[in-house]
Amino acid sequence: MKDAKKVLVLFIVAVLLLLSLSMSVFADDVERIIVYAKVPEDWTEPCVWAWADDGTNAFKAWPGGEMEADENNPGWYYCWIPAETGNVIINANEGEVQTADFKLEAKNAWLIITDADTVEISYETKTTGEIPEYVEKFPVHAKVDENWEDVCIWAWLHPDGTNAYEAWPGKTMKAKDTGWYTVNVPIWVNSIIINANGGEVQTEDLTIDPAEVWVTVDAEGVAEFTYNDPDAPVVDDITVYVKSPADWNEPHLWAWSAPDGTNVFSSWPGEALQDAGDGWLLLEVPGWVNSVIVNGNEGSVQTADLSVDAGKDLWVVVTDAENVAVYYEKPEIPKEPEPTETEPPAETSAPEVTSEPAKEEPEKGGINPLLIAIPAVAAIAGAGVYFSKKKKS
Amino acid sequence: MKRWLAILLIVCLVTTLFVGCSQPEEISDGTVTITIWHDKEEEVAAVLQTELERLEPDIVVKLERKDGLTEALKLVGNDPKAAPDMYFFAHDKLGVYAEMGILAPISDFIDATALEAYLPMTIEAATYKGEIYQLPLYFETLLYMYNRRYMKDDKVPKTTEELYEYMRKTTVGGHYGFVEQHSTAYYSAGWIHAFGGYIINEEGQPGLDSKETIAALEYHKKFVEYMPSEGEYATVNTLFREAKAHSTIGGPWLVPTIRESGIDLGLAPMPVVNETGKAIAPYSGVQGLHVLKVAAGKKHDAIIKVLQQLTGDEVGIAIAKASGCAPAKLSCYDDPDVAKDLMVMSMYETAQNAVPMPNIPEMDVMWTVTENLLVDINMSGKDVTESAKAAQKKALDLIASMK
Repeated sequence: MKDAKKVLVLFIVAVLLLLSLSMSVFADDVERIIVYAKVPEDWTEPCVWAWADDGTNAFKAWPGGEMEADENNPGWYYCWIPAETGNVIINANEGEVQTADFKLEAKNAWLIITDADTVEISYETKTTGEIPEYVEKFPVHAKVDENWEDVCIWAWLHPDGTNAYEAWPGKTMKAKDTGWYTVNVPIWVNSIIINANGGEVQTEDLTIDPAEVWVTVDAEGVAEFTYNDPDAPVVDDITVYVKSPADWNEPHLWAWSAPDGTNVFSSWPGEALQDAGDGWLLLEVPGWVNSVIVNGNEGSVQTADLSVDAGKDLWVVVTDAENVAVYYEKPEIPKEPEPTETEPPAETSAPEVTSEPAKEEPEKGGINPLLIAIPAVAAIAGAGVYFSKKKKS
Repeated sequence: MKRWLAILLIVCLVTTLFVGCSQPEEISDGTVTITIWHDKEEEVAAVLQTELERLEPDIVVKLERKDGLTEALKLVGNDPKAAPDMYFFAHDKLGVYAEMGILAPISDFIDATALEAYLPMTIEAATYKGEIYQLPLYFETLLYMYNRRYMKDDKVPKTTEELYEYMRKTTVGGHYGFVEQHSTAYYSAGWIHAFGGYIINEEGQPGLDSKETIAALEYHKKFVEYMPSEGEYATVNTLFREAKAHSTIGGPWLVPTIRESGIDLGLAPMPVVNETGKAIAPYSGVQGLHVLKVAAGKKHDAIIKVLQQLTGDEVGIAIAKASGCAPAKLSCYDDPDVAKDLMVMSMYETAQNAVPMPNIPEMDVMWTVTENLLVDINMSGKDVTESAKAAQKKALDLIASMK
């Protein structure tokens, strides 16, 4: 089971790594060129795949950027790409047909594609009218009821009412294998409606941020949306095992994800750890947890923030608030020798703050006695606070 | 015989003392060396160095970057062999050093009328128990920042109620209308000040349970409900940098990384609290030059020249251009480049309401006490008034322990 978890975590890491590698790193304000293409009649929904000489891709994933039909120039499609990404492949039919790759100069280009092997490149304008302006776009994904067909999006800018598309029901969303319909809409849009069946069924107006968004729509058209990919890989729960000091009553676990700050529990001090036998306590938490604190005595004593690897079971051995060890395999803990009656009582590990005032002996320079107390009290206060509360950086 | 011997010894001792007092400034080949400790970024240090090189060859200024500057000063600030002659740092520790007796007032070197050309807030920050211990050069305050892709310039909330409504409408699906370090004392102070409350006043009296502070904390809770419960530094800044938050309150030090992230950054005045009519008034930190007593006597004339050199407009303007810091001297804002720098001018505007961070020693204990209070209220859901009273008692106990 443990091996399976490891494999899963490694797989997720690998997927995330691959995704990050394929992502575009181009900012919004880079120099861009327009790529026009006239494609064979049996090429539908052409796209452009582009990359820089250093391998940086212009688009997140194959088949690349969708080419828009130029209404003023039938048969011509266009797409803006960063000027640096002059290595280009034109493809269509969801990537099933494509040209060879070829290198464009860093200026607007017109490509006449007779077939996959025959491409004529020109830097002279081959279309009529104004070249369309570059408009940044963001993807909208929608998952709809199975009775919804011909899913479209209607998009506009509220409150001035500028529409992204000429007529209702708007732009057709492309069905993906994932079950999501997807379309890119202009960055200035802040309101959308998902509709289907020729506009007969629809959601209410949805006010959104211009950022990649996933909209889920039920049969009645009631929609919810999120900016976090609902299909992102989910990591299994992990178990946190804890050995806590004997004088920490009712040890609790506080757990969260950094840096996004998502907490597992609604309020401090978190959830009580359960007895796992052999001196260990345990609690299951989501696998995305990467930060924990063990605390006791209703949160009045605690460890520091412990950064841990996500997706791995943990063994946390707390000797005292300042001395904590974290393991990813169950550690061998040597049994402590029984104290004998002749031994002096063990001293608690006093905070190091007691050494602070010694650094500022008054005889060194006639320092005001108040000042000797300040760092000491401040440090003790800090330590007291540190040990008594969750936080701070 | 013994009597003569005693007289001789006394004469020797007195002579030695006078020799010490009248020791000429450290001259080698006619040059006086002034050592200044600092912890600033390269850009700021380079501006200072260039400006102070104008004093050569009579005076050579050595700028030494010092990690752990504040602790080092506590240890060696009164040791002529180890201490620097001056240091360049924020104002908030000067009360501690003044009490330690290691600082010389800058009014011993500069005519007080010269300081009338500075923003009053910066001189207030430099003053402790009636003495001015710092020559201010620039200051920093928190800023209201927004992502212009999400929040249009004409939709920036002008009041806290507008902000609250904005948060209610836009905090959905993993995006936030506004995020801040809601349970950090430095950030909470702005809200408290807008209600007329305070963390600690000039007399060293904590104000955590004043009705104004309690009102601020109570009012602020409803905003926290629309923020991530984990409101620490990394969370807040990452959310804004990754375009998952529309707006935030943050320091100017974040601006470079935010811009590098591709965020179209907008800066705006702090929202005004509807209930009080006062804008959120964050703490300000004033950076400037301090003179150590160990150098005040023996390098008096050279120190005067160093300070005078830094009272010109050129240095404030140059620092503003180099690193976006807001000059302390008013006339620097007449410079066209400074006047069109959005970040500098936003800080200048915020400075009209900003409160200098307390420079009294007692403040040292207030940070953690206040943050505990904020955690109790914002994260543990405890009663505001009871928590505030408990925190006030804790603060008073700790301050009493100092004395």
